[in-house]
Amino acid sequence: MIALLLVPALLLLVVVFVGPLFRYAWLSFHADSVITGLIAISNGGANWLRLVQDQRYWQDLFQTLRFAGVSVGLELVLALLIALLLDQRWRGRDVVRTLALIPWALPTTVMALGWRWIFNTPYGPVDHLTKIIGLGSLNILGDPSLTWMATVWADVWKTTPFAALILLAGLQTIPGDLYEALRLEGGNALICLRRITLPLLRPYILLALLFRLAQAFGVFDLIQVLTGGGPASSTESIALYAYWNALRFLDFGYSATIIMASFILISLICVIAWIALQLIIPTHSKSRGAVSS
Amino acid sequence: MTLQIQNLGRRVGQQWIVRQLNLQVDDGECVALVGPSGCGKSSTLRLIAGLDAVSEGEIFFDQTKVTHAMAAQRAVGMVFQSYALLPHLSVTANLELGLRVRGVRPSDRQQRIQAMLDLVQLQDRADVLPAQLSGGQRQRVALARALLRDPEVYLLDEPMSNLDAQLREELRPELRRLVLNRQKPVIHVTHDQHEAMAIADRIAVLHSGRIQQVATPAELYHHPETLFIAKFIGRPQINCLRPSNGVVCAVRPESLTFASEGIPCKLISREWLGSSQLLYLDSPQGPLRLSCSTAVDIPETIHVSWKASDEHHFDAASGIRLP
Repeated sequence: MIALLLVPALLLLVVVFVGPLFRYAWLSFHADSVITGLIAISNGGANWLRLVQDQRYWQDLFQTLRFAGVSVGLELVLALLIALLLDQRWRGRDVVRTLALIPWALPTTVMALGWRWIFNTPYGPVDHLTKIIGLGSLNILGDPSLTWMATVWADVWKTTPFAALILLAGLQTIPGDLYEALRLEGGNALICLRRITLPLLRPYILLALLFRLAQAFGVFDLIQVLTGGGPASSTESIALYAYWNALRFLDFGYSATIIMASFILISLICVIAWIALQLIIPTHSKSRGAVSS
Repeated sequence: MTLQIQNLGRRVGQQWIVRQLNLQVDDGECVALVGPSGCGKSSTLRLIAGLDAVSEGEIFFDQTKVTHAMAAQRAVGMVFQSYALLPHLSVTANLELGLRVRGVRPSDRQQRIQAMLDLVQLQDRADVLPAQLSGGQRQRVALARALLRDPEVYLLDEPMSNLDAQLREELRPELRRLVLNRQKPVIHVTHDQHEAMAIADRIAVLHSGRIQQVATPAELYHHPETLFIAKFIGRPQINCLRPSNGVVCAVRPESLTFASEGIPCKLISREWLGSSQLLYLDSPQGPLRLSCSTAVDIPETIHVSWKASDEHHFDAASGIRLP
């Protein structure tokens, strides 16, 4: 009977997630575009073959992975530092804790627009700054070797607070006397970090990593507003490419194929990231993070 | 080794958590710190361990002043109330961490851990996680870790308060065997006065951050320096008669006897405690508790009295013992 209580949640999940997924899987084996009069016609594996041979897809995939990997990596390191800092006792900490969440609370489009102006050449403050320190006008949003870094920068700025919040919640579950017991033996801050904090924080790091990887891999709004995928599609992400195929070229079959490929890939990445993290922070805990009482 | 504390104090903001604390603990002596919650007993322990900063006064280990020394340099073995075992490490790994941090060679580590596990009788639990141990076993791991430190001073912070009453009683001889026979000063913080009386050579009663009396359990029981101690030590609690002329007279429940003449009382209720029984009485002097053997028949009309030598007198205003 209790299982009945799960029905509303499951129904929602089926409608917004499982349903579309099956629809895309089905659609990826059909031609469905303006050419077919927006009627799905089975075309075997033609979409998938096209995907494999699509230079632009591979380029976008590389750019998406680069974006996700670099920004999530930076975010986790920064978030850990911030969380450790916010976990200490100091004057004004509570104010900073609240202020730190502002970037995350801003709508992505709003903050992306803000960063677009900040990076604007020649009117933005960054351009002004680079001229002052002697680097000259860098044209950040016009130089493909720099623009992707600007997207990473904006993403790190926005989502680090979120990761820091998860890690801070994790830090607060670690009892203080564990540190004190090690301090009595002569353990310094670094040993405490390695022997206590990181192992006990592992489930929270994992959570932040998976959340952020999946989110960064599907990045759309930030890039759409900040660069529009440019210059010369050098910052285009897979989500952006899928969106253009569907809503600009009205090629729903191929768009569905891109989305299915991304889905499979991100699932694989998350599994690999999970396994990798088990290896980086070794523990033989069976009850993950459970604190003895 | 002698642990000596002189005029020790700790202030947080405007408030003194511990103040003017003087105590000396000799080799092989166990002093229990007792007192109500928030009286500063755990804070005192943390000051001795070096976990909190001292605001005033000095701490000496023999002649060496350690008042402001780092915790790691003090060679204290501490057992925490929560045991403070790392949940993701096995018993062996938990014990090994301290040795590793202190730079003990791997071959020595294994040997010492093995010997320690034998001593605390946990050889067969060496590879399990703390979560899989019983409360008593966890406590023994925590003890083992403190012992491995080979400390100059043992500090036990309510080491048994997370265990049930029966286990506590069973572990007392164990604690004696492992720690109290080491010929080192031991400070034992507890809120359980039975435990304090059973284990400690002397008991220090703390109230509002100050020591009110340090004495042997017997002295504390028979000659409490303050009304607070008289009420705090001894169960069932001491009877306090209505103050007259600024003097409170207090009498232990077991000092009360039935008499043909004496204070007339009414029996309110009665608790049967096995070897004894406790009577709750109502008298013109206020409510009284009387403890007597279960063999005693309770008379129809109750009159109680006591010997004048069993009376304790305290100043009603200050609570200090009067001669």
